[in-house]
Amino acid sequence: MSINLLHRHALEDHISGFETDPNPNHLCVIRRPVIFSVLAHEGQETAVAEALWNAEDVAPRFCSPSEWFAVSRTLGAETVAGTLSEIAGASVVDQSDGRVLMEISGPSVRTILAKCVAIDLHPEVFEEGHSASMLCCHAEANVARTGADRFEIIVPRSLAGSVFELLMEMGREHALTRGFAG
Amino acid sequence: MTSYRLGSGGAINRGQSLTFTFDGRSYKGFDGDTLASALLANDQMLMARSFKYHRPRGVVTAGSAEPNALMTIGSGARAEPNARATVVELYNGLTAASQNRWPSLKHDFGAVNDLFSPFLGAGFYYKTFMWPGVLWEKLYEPLIRRAAGLGKATMQADPDRYEKSWAHCDLLVIGAGPSGLMAALTAGRAGVRVILADEGFRFGGSLLSESAAVGGQPAAEFAAEVVEELATLPNVTLMPRTTVFGWYDDMVFGAVERVQKHVASPSPDLPMERLWRIVAKRAILATGAEERPLVFGGNDKPGVMTAGAARTYLNRYGVAVGGKVAVFTNGGSGYRTAADLLAQGVDVTAIIDARPQSADPVPEGIRIIRNGSVIATKGRYRIDGLIAERSGFEEVIGCDALAMSGGWSPIVHLMCQRGAKPVWSDEKQAFLAPDVGGAFVAAGAAAGQASLGECLTDGAAKGHAALEALGRLVGTLGTPEVEGEYDPSFAPLWYVPGARDKAFVDFQNDVHVGDLGLAQREGFRHIEHTKRYTTAGMATDQGKLANVNTAGIVAGMRGVSPAEIGTTTFRPFYTPVSFGALAGTARAEHAAPVRTSPLHGWARKNGATFVESGPWYRSAWFPTDGEKTWRESVDREVLNVRVNAGLCDVSTLGKIEIFGRGAAEFLDRIYSNSFLKLPVGRARYGLMLREDGIVFDDGTASRLSENHYVMTTTTAYAAEVLAHLEFSAQTFWPELDVRFVSSTDQWAQMSLAGPKARIIMSRVVQDDISDAAFPFLAAREVVLRGGLKARLFRISFSGELAYELAVPAGYGEAVADAIMDAGREEGICAYGVEALNVLRVEKGHVTHSELDGRTTADDVGLGRMMAMQKPDFIGKRLSMRFGLTAADRLQLVGLKPVEADKEIKAGAHLLKDGAKPSTANDQGFVSSACFSPTLGHFIALGMLKSGRERIGERVMVWDGLRGSEVLSEVCPPVFVDPENSKLHL
Repeated sequence: MSINLLHRHALEDHISGFETDPNPNHLCVIRRPVIFSVLAHEGQETAVAEALWNAEDVAPRFCSPSEWFAVSRTLGAETVAGTLSEIAGASVVDQSDGRVLMEISGPSVRTILAKCVAIDLHPEVFEEGHSASMLCCHAEANVARTGADRFEIIVPRSLAGSVFELLMEMGREHALTRGFAG
Repeated sequence: MTSYRLGSGGAINRGQSLTFTFDGRSYKGFDGDTLASALLANDQMLMARSFKYHRPRGVVTAGSAEPNALMTIGSGARAEPNARATVVELYNGLTAASQNRWPSLKHDFGAVNDLFSPFLGAGFYYKTFMWPGVLWEKLYEPLIRRAAGLGKATMQADPDRYEKSWAHCDLLVIGAGPSGLMAALTAGRAGVRVILADEGFRFGGSLLSESAAVGGQPAAEFAAEVVEELATLPNVTLMPRTTVFGWYDDMVFGAVERVQKHVASPSPDLPMERLWRIVAKRAILATGAEERPLVFGGNDKPGVMTAGAARTYLNRYGVAVGGKVAVFTNGGSGYRTAADLLAQGVDVTAIIDARPQSADPVPEGIRIIRNGSVIATKGRYRIDGLIAERSGFEEVIGCDALAMSGGWSPIVHLMCQRGAKPVWSDEKQAFLAPDVGGAFVAAGAAAGQASLGECLTDGAAKGHAALEALGRLVGTLGTPEVEGEYDPSFAPLWYVPGARDKAFVDFQNDVHVGDLGLAQREGFRHIEHTKRYTTAGMATDQGKLANVNTAGIVAGMRGVSPAEIGTTTFRPFYTPVSFGALAGTARAEHAAPVRTSPLHGWARKNGATFVESGPWYRSAWFPTDGEKTWRESVDREVLNVRVNAGLCDVSTLGKIEIFGRGAAEFLDRIYSNSFLKLPVGRARYGLMLREDGIVFDDGTASRLSENHYVMTTTTAYAAEVLAHLEFSAQTFWPELDVRFVSSTDQWAQMSLAGPKARIIMSRVVQDDISDAAFPFLAAREVVLRGGLKARLFRISFSGELAYELAVPAGYGEAVADAIMDAGREEGICAYGVEALNVLRVEKGHVTHSELDGRTTADDVGLGRMMAMQKPDFIGKRLSMRFGLTAADRLQLVGLKPVEADKEIKAGAHLLKDGAKPSTANDQGFVSSACFSPTLGHFIALGMLKSGRERIGERVMVWDGLRGSEVLSEVCPPVFVDPENSKLHL
């Protein structure tokens, strides 16, 4: 007997109904990103960070000292696992199902996020490529700046629905739209 | 006509007329008016009744310190009580109503209080309504509350949205008057991130009320020009209608922005108010100064107001506050007000100056009475004259308004909210801002500067100093010239003797000079006691006008300097903040974050009833057709697991991945039992102690490969355990190579339990899971039929043959469906945490009901898990304390009712049979109780003194709270399969 298993996104029930065209302010939920936790062992922090930053098609996200997320929207989990497993001094674990990745973008994005996080996201303080762990709508989140007006938010799957609904609420005055991608 | 709108002038838009109502009557005002200015323009001076004596009241101020003109704005669910008419921005369709009066504002029955006022002084209630005590709550207090009061809160749900937001800046400037504008401009031009916040709807502060010229143009135009420039600077954020109400740790300021309070039909997409937390590197307090009322007889009647207020209504709103205005002053402000009124064609009947002489220029044609005072005012709903006194001679002077000026008090509240007290200055005759360190400084009038020119210069200088501190060196900004400046200095005058009527200090609370004297005589001499005894400085205005006068008057009574009296404590909020703003979006469905399991959808599909467990929503039971009570469902689920099989969602248990060469040693020190030799592919139950030897948490750890473990924790302690591991690794044993990360969210984990579990699981899993190949406590990666990789653990909480299967969360629902399909012929059912709880009580397993932060391993029968032969583990040393090893400690036992149909409830106390219920006789308590469908009666786990020695004894289960007594027999805590034969099937 073989079982055909359907993969379900955590926000499947939250994003239903008519698909609308995205507004300038848009929240995009990435359907199947690959997200690994990467832990550097004692004394290997710099080497692991360097290897992570050099890995192709993998975006490193700083979580805490010697801990990162390795994120990829293009590669498969097996490929990323392969790349990461070659990094000496690192332990890695797949978190792709345990994290939800949302991308929020648009001219009002900082105004919206100021209602969600306590961190200063001014471009002089939080530059493109920067990422940090912070509370976002009461949930632990990793927030990264991926463009002038674009941020990536990674939250635990169990809290994703709650965070998503609050993000939409905070974006209400800026006509924030939402949808799946990828 | 008494007060009226001038033909021209003011910062109002005369092209846009607005209609509003007050107490049902319709009025017209202009865009740019406040409710108070529009009412005055319509000659409506009577605006309120006072709190206690129901005296008729008008406006005293033109700003947020207003104690009198409190009104209810709006109706129905949007009715907002106690709004200050002086800061309510007028909009079309605004409805306002007066408060604390019946049947009407003009004819208020409560005004009888004023007649009895000789008996109603400070402390009257406490002295009068002392007996009998029981009547206080039932009779006296409700009566008093009805007789006195402010507006009434609506009991309907707030229909509007509220939000909270963060802001960050290099420099926060609080107040957009002359000093604040100059500070913001200086810093803004230098390119630093500036936030300029002002409580008003128009920036400019006192410049909008000023008749002097600044930089060669009218002051208001100068302000507009500066604001215009600031608006073009991308690094400057302008926040009008925003009150900075509090100063908190680490330079975080609280502010509330009234986003839509001034809008006729609010947008549902915008918040009504927004609460800001502003993080500033530096801040400048540019809040200006408050003009002090003079304390003389009849100073509270409608028509008596501060000179600055009269000037603001005149110059900013184009409203003459009276047709014939008298001025009572002890400084330059009164003279300037008289001159401004005169310039607009308003008749000024006299200036009564309390000082014997002054250098202030007397406007031509105005009578001046030096060394004079006002001892009474005439009229009821608006004054129609005053009695002036000079050298023993009295004179009645006709007037329909009286502008008073008692000097200026810098507004220093924010700087005093974190413990620092304001500092009295003899030179300035005022309390000045304390030194709270360089990051937060006062500027302009808030710093005690008197004249407009000084304020402009000081604002620019403080802005410049902030830039220097921020490391931006720039040239100083030129300060514009001020023409037509006046000297606002004053001579102190706390109390005007000879009063013929009550001389009020605190208008809002009806506290007069006599009350302050009474407080001193009765021993309430400390200013904080004086405040509580008299209520001076309480309620919505928190004594903005009253506090300094109170200190001055009490100082005079005691013959000391106000420096010795000091001020009462300043606390947030500067002005009242609505609960809506403080709650923000955290209401209704957003009140708390919701955590859902990856199997939430599966459980819902199967009809689950959910229970909140911390932030988690867990499936509690799964009712099927015909089941009316939760017990029916739970009993069925339990029996089905014992006979066939059941599937339960256990995804919420904490899961922590542990990596490193030191992981085995680390776990061996973290758990009280041994972990060093756990083989790869095996799971072990583990018990964690706190340092003090008490049980912390329990769970399992499985060795997936040589240097990789996965630990499970209880749902409630997942975060605490991870923090405990991190702390231990970083501080106790940094030499161990070990790293952790939570993977709780990665896995959908389900427990398949029951005698038929293996046959069902083998239909889903490819690997051989026979007892030989996958024995009890096996743990390893498996492949599901179809190719999905998963983790399988043979562990059991129910006492049955059981597996826990963990699959990537996104596949959870599909896998659970597949297991249910695979088990249909075997009679599988879904079961929830309630059934899980019954199964574990039947099996005598403990949870945090027993591991409640007081129990040791031995207490709960897990003494064998204390591997004392290990060199060390957390909790080892202190677990040997005498108190933790005493023979009479409470120990885990089972309990069953002697009469099988009796119910035992958790929380009940245990008594020796026949003993009286008392603390001394307390023998323990019931920690968990349930109906056991397997045994057909109630069973319980309890903590009983020396319990293990008392098996077979009968104890009374006494539940005083719910009124039951159940004689029960003490038994071993394992009710089902004590030989563990079912685990090893």
